Amino acid sequence: MVATLSQLFDNDYDEEGFRTCSVTGLEIHRTAENHVKLFGLTAVVAMVVGGIFAITVAMTRWELIGLIGEANYYRHLSMHAWNLLIFWLVFMEIAILYVGGPMVLGRRLPLTKVAKAGWVTMVAGALGINYFIWTASGAEVAPLLTAYVPLNIPTGFFASAIVFLVGATIAAVPFLATIWKEKRWGTDDTLPLVTFGAFITSIIAVQAILGGIAAFSYGLVWKVGIIETINSGAYRTLFWTIGHGSQQINLLAMITVWYFLTHVVGGAVVVSEKVSRSAFILYLFFINLGAAHHLMADPALGVGWKLFNTSYAFYGAAFASMIHAFAIPAGLEAGRRQRGLGGGLFGWLTSAPWRNPVFSATIFSIILFGFVGGITGVLMGQLQLNITWHNTFATVGHFHATVAVGTTLAFMGLVFFVIQTMFRRDFVSGTLASLVPYFYAGAMGIATLAMIYLGILYGVPRRTSSVVRNIPGADFSISAAAPLMSLFGVFAVLAILAGVLFLLVALGSLLFGARLERGDDAGLRPDGGLTPDGGKPVHAVDMRGTFAMCLIFMATFVVLYVLNWFLLVQLWSIGA
Amino acid sequence: MPGPFDKPEGNWWDEPVNRREGMWLGIAGVWSLAIFGWMSGFTRFGDQNPVGETYEVDPSEYRETVQAYIDEADENEEGHIIPPGDSVYIGAFRFNWDGLPVVLEAGQEYDIHLGAYDVQHGFSIRPEHSLSQQINLQILPDTEWVIPMSFDDPGTYHVICNEFCGQGHNSMHGTLYVEEP
Repeated sequence: MVATLSQLFDNDYDEEGFRTCSVTGLEIHRTAENHVKLFGLTAVVAMVVGGIFAITVAMTRWELIGLIGEANYYRHLSMHAWNLLIFWLVFMEIAILYVGGPMVLGRRLPLTKVAKAGWVTMVAGALGINYFIWTASGAEVAPLLTAYVPLNIPTGFFASAIVFLVGATIAAVPFLATIWKEKRWGTDDTLPLVTFGAFITSIIAVQAILGGIAAFSYGLVWKVGIIETINSGAYRTLFWTIGHGSQQINLLAMITVWYFLTHVVGGAVVVSEKVSRSAFILYLFFINLGAAHHLMADPALGVGWKLFNTSYAFYGAAFASMIHAFAIPAGLEAGRRQRGLGGGLFGWLTSAPWRNPVFSATIFSIILFGFVGGITGVLMGQLQLNITWHNTFATVGHFHATVAVGTTLAFMGLVFFVIQTMFRRDFVSGTLASLVPYFYAGAMGIATLAMIYLGILYGVPRRTSSVVRNIPGADFSISAAAPLMSLFGVFAVLAILAGVLFLLVALGSLLFGARLERGDDAGLRPDGGLTPDGGKPVHAVDMRGTFAMCLIFMATFVVLYVLNWFLLVQLWSIGA
Repeated sequence: MPGPFDKPEGNWWDEPVNRREGMWLGIAGVWSLAIFGWMSGFTRFGDQNPVGETYEVDPSEYRETVQAYIDEADENEEGHIIPPGDSVYIGAFRFNWDGLPVVLEAGQEYDIHLGAYDVQHGFSIRPEHSLSQQINLQILPDTEWVIPMSFDDPGTYHVICNEFCGQGHNSMHGTLYVEEP
């Protein structure tokens, strides 16, 4: 066991601890690589825990099965939320920072003791949160994700949440030190785009984490009796800086991963440094305002505040996302056209390595995140439309489209990539590995759409164990939604099975996969190498395929926008 | 051609942008401003806005206000509240709704007062005859929110709590009857 584990953390390094990656050509130091592995493996463990609770939560919401009763439902839902929405993603994101910083720049990871201290603190916080969720009893209730005061949430939960957030901040320090060293003692060169994206991600993360520490500290001092009363509206505003901010970290990390993976397995290039970097700058200023989406149906905030914040300041951040929506596929199109890989409108895409799960996971992540997660995010973030979305199952559909389909799928691709390029193991079954993104994207995509329709068309609420077949004590239930709920249930089961398949392939390959020899690229490198030589300058390459896809996206956006507003104006008159 | 791992060389800021990428920037920019404009304008000309007066209030004071309102109100044969004026008070508490069931007249504008006595709750309401016509408002224990509403269609409207408020949350249901005047 120990031998197997220590093998996982070894590679053919030279005397100075460096090796050259056979896929990316990057100079990788042992310190950076081993810490990426440490955080990445921890993330996968959190995914296993959260995934187990996906089964009990989904099979309870599918009331035909009704797996667990109300008494345990909130506890299970809290475990599902914290382990998947926070731990799986944040541990992955620290790993991504270490890839985007020291690995891409060809440096050692500085301050490795700080990195380890960060890991230990994060793990301690995560274990504490799991413990206090699981043992909440008597007058105390499970927190769900939000720990909305003045609910009686275990005191230890607030303390553990603070510990976890402090740990994530500590773990980010070695990355920030890398950037500091690069700019202070390195050359005057511009940072590579991936490093720049990771750097903006880290700033967004620090903003979110500070808000989170403030929110949970406010809850903690109230719980221990230092202050007598707590303002629920103020807590909500503070909480959502981390509650949604954590998901903006996911977004930026995921987009950075999109640029990274489309390049290394698809041969994408950067079509405009100026445009892509400007989009990241827009995120820096505006993306965290999106936290206001959760407060549109709140009483205690003014209309002007709501309009400015929910629109990310006149949709500055939505504009940024639409920029990436063009730039990333265009990078793929330009890179492949320059190499003569596929003609016509979409030949560059159809000729791409679709059997490679790293590639297909990335592309499905881009498409589903944009079409489902992105569009619904803007819709539900409109002040008025929000009253038809707020706290319905449609909201859950939205963030499963962004996080469970979009980010998780991209990170699944990244895990596969890390298994081959850093752990240097081949897949135990190439066919099963190829199947994972198709199976997961298909099943989770349909489950997600079902959630959205259940919320919008039937008003099925979130955070409840029974409402479709039975509202205890009432002669009313939302029984008309039962058939669609069954569709959701079936596809949720399939999505969970796809998740299990991912874990089996990933862990199986780590433990039993054939060792890839030095120089073996496991077939990952795109045809014709990473970047094409010569030819036209990149801006002159034809990008009409991407433009056509973006027009389809915009048409979908407009149609869904009009439909949502049409549904809204059918309502009775509401508001001053 | 530069990849995302490469440090861009030279004056990359002045590199030209692909013509179609430029067009897309225009389309996306115009759309961004358009949906902001519509949302903002709708607060002025639209009929469905989550906008109303709010007051900071102590939960126990709000409970007393709702109780005084119920004492003043009439009841019909089924024991449903008939509001004495245009104000309708609803007090959410674990795990029921004070002030419901209430009987309202279609077409009349009421000031719906929403507040809670203990923790946060969710006011999720829909008519029985059309489940897709549903709205959801957050209720906080320290705030009284006065939202004007006038119901066009007579019918039975069901209110369920859609914010987790503790063990028993899923039984929190109330009814609002809208009748022809």
